[in-house]
Amino acid sequence: MTKDEAGFDNIFLPREAKIIRTSRPTPSEKHFTLQLADRTSLDFVPGQILEVGVMGYGESPIGIASSPTRTDSFDIVVRTVGRVTTAINSRDVGDSLWIRGPLGHGFDMDELRGHDVLIVAGGIGLCPTRSLIQYILDRRDEFGRFTLFYGARDPLQLLFTEDRLEWRRSDAIDYHETVDRADATWTGNVGVIPTLFHKTAHISPDTRVVICGPPVMFKYVLIELDKLGIPRENIFVDLERRMKCGVGKCGHCQINDKYCCIDGPVFTFAKIWELEEAI
Amino acid sequence: MGAYFIGAHELLGWVDGLRESTRIIGPVAKRQRFVFAELESAAQLRLDYDVTILPPKKVFFPPKQQILAFDSERVSDCIDPVPTVLLGVHFYDVKGLDMTDFLMRERYEDWNYLAQREATTIVASSVQSVAPRAFWGSIGAHVRPQGHDAMLTKVSEGYVLETRTPKGERLAGLERFRHATDDEVAGAERVNAAVMDQCSQLMPYDSKEIATKVRESFGNEELWDDLAMDCFSCGSCNIVCPTCYCFDVRDSWNVDQTSGQRTRYWDACLTREFAAVTMAGGQKENFREHHASRFRHRFMRKAAYLHDKLGGPACTGCGRCAAACTANIADPVRVINTIMGVTL
Repeated sequence: MTKDEAGFDNIFLPREAKIIRTSRPTPSEKHFTLQLADRTSLDFVPGQILEVGVMGYGESPIGIASSPTRTDSFDIVVRTVGRVTTAINSRDVGDSLWIRGPLGHGFDMDELRGHDVLIVAGGIGLCPTRSLIQYILDRRDEFGRFTLFYGARDPLQLLFTEDRLEWRRSDAIDYHETVDRADATWTGNVGVIPTLFHKTAHISPDTRVVICGPPVMFKYVLIELDKLGIPRENIFVDLERRMKCGVGKCGHCQINDKYCCIDGPVFTFAKIWELEEAI
Repeated sequence: MGAYFIGAHELLGWVDGLRESTRIIGPVAKRQRFVFAELESAAQLRLDYDVTILPPKKVFFPPKQQILAFDSERVSDCIDPVPTVLLGVHFYDVKGLDMTDFLMRERYEDWNYLAQREATTIVASSVQSVAPRAFWGSIGAHVRPQGHDAMLTKVSEGYVLETRTPKGERLAGLERFRHATDDEVAGAERVNAAVMDQCSQLMPYDSKEIATKVRESFGNEELWDDLAMDCFSCGSCNIVCPTCYCFDVRDSWNVDQTSGQRTRYWDACLTREFAAVTMAGGQKENFREHHASRFRHRFMRKAAYLHDKLGGPACTGCGRCAAACTANIADPVRVINTIMGVTL
């Protein structure tokens, strides 16, 4: 929370963050590395969000795409979809973005620690889970078997090329990727994410599972997890909603009686099971 | 705190006296109806009003409120409370403010609301006339109005002012008031008890019973399709509601194109795009696409979701939504009684 000059805590007052690096992984996505202008570090847990804004345009809720275990900068990936995200993605190194947060309830690291972990990420859902992936890789001894499923619509939509190269080569992570539609260059898996479950036999019923992706993906992944006998309380779902204020007031992101922005965006599937509006 | 008496002929003089040192907002006539507005003279005050078009929530949470100012260098906030006496608030609207007070404090304190709230002294007043669609006699009777600093009750010959807080006590200068007698205080109590009987009992259910049954009705799509059948998704029920507090935030530029402001506007969960998210390619994912799911959401919040948090329904029985509804379907009395009568 930020205090204004008159001494009131103002939940809407953003902090300035300087853009120190950018890249364009796809035509519609931009990857930013940011640093707070006052050089303090952002204290967050994987799965938390930021309200990222450009003054004069507005704010958009964006998951943090890097791990708190890495340096005093942090990453976000923004997809150009509307007015605000277009404005954000027109900013470059040396410019500022205005952020509020970290906000929301991220991954309960204590629930994951000591267990096998499977992350299922679809499309831009890889961005918020990248925070968790890096975290686990940086503290590899604290976790059991680590598997990552990643799917995109087509090869051009695949994000984090360097990361994926590293994951493919690494013994620390069992990485599988797929695309819905292949192109001439593609030699890997073709098919939606749930098809990856048939390609690896190493998901134990005690695995902690994290799912992040488009709403249409959840249902089919959950069916596969049910077949594997993974209980609902061990499945964590990162949801997307219109988290306009980020502080549980404006009402846009409500899922039944919960606010996605403060009660989530990460929920256990056991919790979501009780919420008719979640999936 | 104290109990005072002021003669009917002295009341306006007292209000004009207060007006010299502070802003006074109270009920005034607007054509055939009433609104809370800043008094330009005490003579405008209409303590005989039945209900105002908008609840007094707007004093603290205006329909349009600037929350940030920016220029090319910096972003600053706009919290700038004005000392105010809010006069003539009926008890059901005090209950509405109690709820928004709680909700704006909960988890993240919103000082864009709370600063003006703390700078305001609220004088509640007795209901002298009951609005045709009011049903405050039927809902949340166990919830007592809290957030007022004094209570002004019209009795024969004048008014009894009972102060509840030091802020309220400061309003009762003894040049116009005298200490009320025990009889006068008892008389005021009788007036406020009697008015409850003028608002007929329309929902013979306990609010906890209602909360449980409404929550259980969630999956009854036929029921909710039926209840919401003629809904225009206009959001009028939201806009007039004392306990609705959803908002949208929009930025705008000044003519210099380098400075501007971030402003919040009242929003309405009944409107079509309220829960829509823009996805890749400009497609929308609307998490409450059907009008019945939005209509249901509003009733779930008022009757069930917020019930435990607030210790009662998030409804004051003011009847504004019933009167404002274009299709005349928003009346909670109709909706709740239908649900309570249905076998789920």
